[in-house]
Amino acid sequence: MKKNSGCSSITSLTKTSSGSGLCQGTLTGNGYNQKENPEEQKRRNKDLIGKVRVFSISLKLFLHDGDAGSYLNILIYRDFSCSHILLVVDADGNDVTPRPLVCPVPGFQKSLDELFSSIPKLSRSSHTMCPTQDSLNAEIEDIFLGPTHPPPQLLKKGDDAEQHAREKMVGECDYISLTETKTITFLDIPPTITSVVDDDAEAAIQRNLSYAELCKSRTCSDKYIDRSMQTLNGALKNKLIQSEKTGTAGKGKTSMVATNWDIYDSFYKQNETFEGDEADHEEKSVSSKSNTTYIDRTISSLSEMEICGSILNPEPEPKKEILLPELLTNISRFMERTVVLNAFQAKLAAYRQPPISEGSDSMMKHGKHSEESLDPTLELLWAFTCQRTRGYCITSMAWNRHNPDILAVGYADFDSRCLKPGLICCWTIKNIMWPERVFDCHSSVTSLDFSTNDQLAVGMYDGTVAIYNICIQDSSVACVASSSKSSRRHLHPVWQVTWTPQRLSLEDVLVSVSSDGRIAKWSISSHNLDCTDLMWFRSNKECKEAAENLKKKKMVLSKPTAVCVDFHPMDFGIYLVGTQEGLIHKSSFSEGHSFLATYKKHIGSVNHIEWSPFSPDVFLSCSRDETVQMWKQGRPVMTFKSIHQGPVFFVKWSPNCSTLFGVVKEDQVELWDLILSILFPTIVHHAEPGVRLTSLLFARGTDCVLVGDSKGQVTVYKLRNFRVCKSTQVDTLDEIIQHATSRYF
Amino acid sequence: MAEVEETLKRIQGQKGVQGIIVANSEGIPIKSTLDNSSTVQYAGLIHQLVMKARSTIRDIDPQNDLTFMRVRSKKNEIMIAPDKDFFLIVIQNPSD
Repeated sequence: MKKNSGCSSITSLTKTSSGSGLCQGTLTGNGYNQKENPEEQKRRNKDLIGKVRVFSISLKLFLHDGDAGSYLNILIYRDFSCSHILLVVDADGNDVTPRPLVCPVPGFQKSLDELFSSIPKLSRSSHTMCPTQDSLNAEIEDIFLGPTHPPPQLLKKGDDAEQHAREKMVGECDYISLTETKTITFLDIPPTITSVVDDDAEAAIQRNLSYAELCKSRTCSDKYIDRSMQTLNGALKNKLIQSEKTGTAGKGKTSMVATNWDIYDSFYKQNETFEGDEADHEEKSVSSKSNTTYIDRTISSLSEMEICGSILNPEPEPKKEILLPELLTNISRFMERTVVLNAFQAKLAAYRQPPISEGSDSMMKHGKHSEESLDPTLELLWAFTCQRTRGYCITSMAWNRHNPDILAVGYADFDSRCLKPGLICCWTIKNIMWPERVFDCHSSVTSLDFSTNDQLAVGMYDGTVAIYNICIQDSSVACVASSSKSSRRHLHPVWQVTWTPQRLSLEDVLVSVSSDGRIAKWSISSHNLDCTDLMWFRSNKECKEAAENLKKKKMVLSKPTAVCVDFHPMDFGIYLVGTQEGLIHKSSFSEGHSFLATYKKHIGSVNHIEWSPFSPDVFLSCSRDETVQMWKQGRPVMTFKSIHQGPVFFVKWSPNCSTLFGVVKEDQVELWDLILSILFPTIVHHAEPGVRLTSLLFARGTDCVLVGDSKGQVTVYKLRNFRVCKSTQVDTLDEIIQHATSRYF
Repeated sequence: MAEVEETLKRIQGQKGVQGIIVANSEGIPIKSTLDNSSTVQYAGLIHQLVMKARSTIRDIDPQNDLTFMRVRSKKNEIMIAPDKDFFLIVIQNPSD
């Protein structure tokens, strides 16, 4: 037989002295099994006494040509329950156990000798696998069946067999493996359990009690002797179990805390989805998802963020591309306001401060520096200006009636003398750096007014009257109505638009004044404005002529037209019209075309008229003839003419103080306080060189004044050291007037 | 989207503003004008604070919710505007 150089195997079938009948084999140089000392084997065998008898032999059969590759493992298991298992496994681990041709007959004994004598036979004749296996099968089965005579026979046979094996099986390789045995219980008495209410319960309890008594008496009685016994404890085996990580709800990183709002949220959402949606699984997923997202947010490990922080670093390029979503719009605006409020806190506090009473005023005077002047001055607080409005000219300003913090400003571009697009900006006191709304208009804006229900009426240079809804941000959608489609629209610049309350209606009615000679009353009907004429100064033919002139760029306006209008604050429907020829007409809604009265005092065109908010019969008018006229009951009572020459564009009463009004001339703003002086303005504020001042507005509730100029800037000034207005304002004004008139007359 | 960018730029240009951080709902900073370590620190700590504050408010009344938080300290003021999915942190020193 060829000796295979690759393996140095020893096959030994050892026997044990104690006769456990265990057959063990040691192993090859290939390392399939450990080589064991005979002593260890004996010890092991001792351990297994009385437990089980297992035979396991695996033989490696070599082909005659020494092919080491193909071999078979024959495994035989046998235990006390008299069933045996024969397994033949080939090199690849496939179970190639041949089916037995003959049923195993228990109790059939053959000697081990015969077994080993047959093995060399097998080795020689191992060309074909199957017949040898079968014969081996049968023989092995025969030999090892039968529990009755195993130990001595085996012992004896084992010795001989060993020698025999050694002689015969040189060059062969045997492979014997030990495997774990089945656990067999020797004694298993399961407890019987009877219910207390059972019929047998009594007997069982009795038995228990008697047994307990017996146990107690056992120690002292002679019937029973204590004897100790040694049980051998086998080596313990570690059993490890590996399982997947048990997941808690929310992907394992939650705290299972049900907070009050969490319960509310999930309940609320579930209700919503239940009502809207019938799929159950969707609800659950929604609520559980919201749960998990909420709970997830409560815990965020710092280590995660450090990782993310480092991720942020190496990508400077993509960072620029990360555009912040629209969701941030609201909070960014809010934040901007807050930041601006912080930055301008002192100025805004000055703006908002109520007028100081005289008592505290004197205290403050003592507290402050002595060199501070006590003259009335204008203190600059801030200016509403931004990049977008630079270069425009401010034509009008109006406060929102609902929210006194919102200011609408109309911008026009008059420099180029053509219909350049204008701008409307809505500013708020809360954010003085950037307007809240910016609306683009197709033409220069010449006048603005807010109605009591928050509609913004805009009159433009090309004659369009439009109504804007400032709640909408988008410029194109915000214009809710426009007169551009109306057939009777103005063709000339609209110089003024006003809202006035009607007698029998809650809504305000819009009135516009245009230089085509018409004063029109507008009604809104689904995005279109339609007008009816209140008054006209020219016939239709003349209007059309003038329109044609305008189109041909002939700015010839020879006929008298209305320039301004003001409605009486108390009497509904009575209004004053100022014309270009210096006449002031008083009329009312019911009068129609005719006038109630005409007032003649001015020489130049009347630019602005305003009723006094306090005194019912008093109004102011300003005109190009450089004068401001105060009228009471139709008679001019006072004329205000300042030293400075120049047409007066604008005059405005202060809403807080009955004797205060502001006058806008081209390059200065004058503030007249009639109590202090009726001949000279109290404050004269000059504009910067190159800048024309165009508009004036008083702030309601605070003593601040806003001045608009031709550079697109609205400057806010605080009136410092002005006299505090008392409550009985009307009387004050009347007194002054009386005094003045009595002086003159 | 450009509008938001512009608004943030304007905020950054305001007087005394030291930094702006935009973080998502998990406290991971998305955009910042500060250096990396400060950003991460601020975002993480403030996120926890905001969560705690929000939880407090909502525990008292589940229909209520946190809209704005200001933390004024000796040196500066931290303003936090939480949103559904983001929060915006601005650090300002108004006396600068």
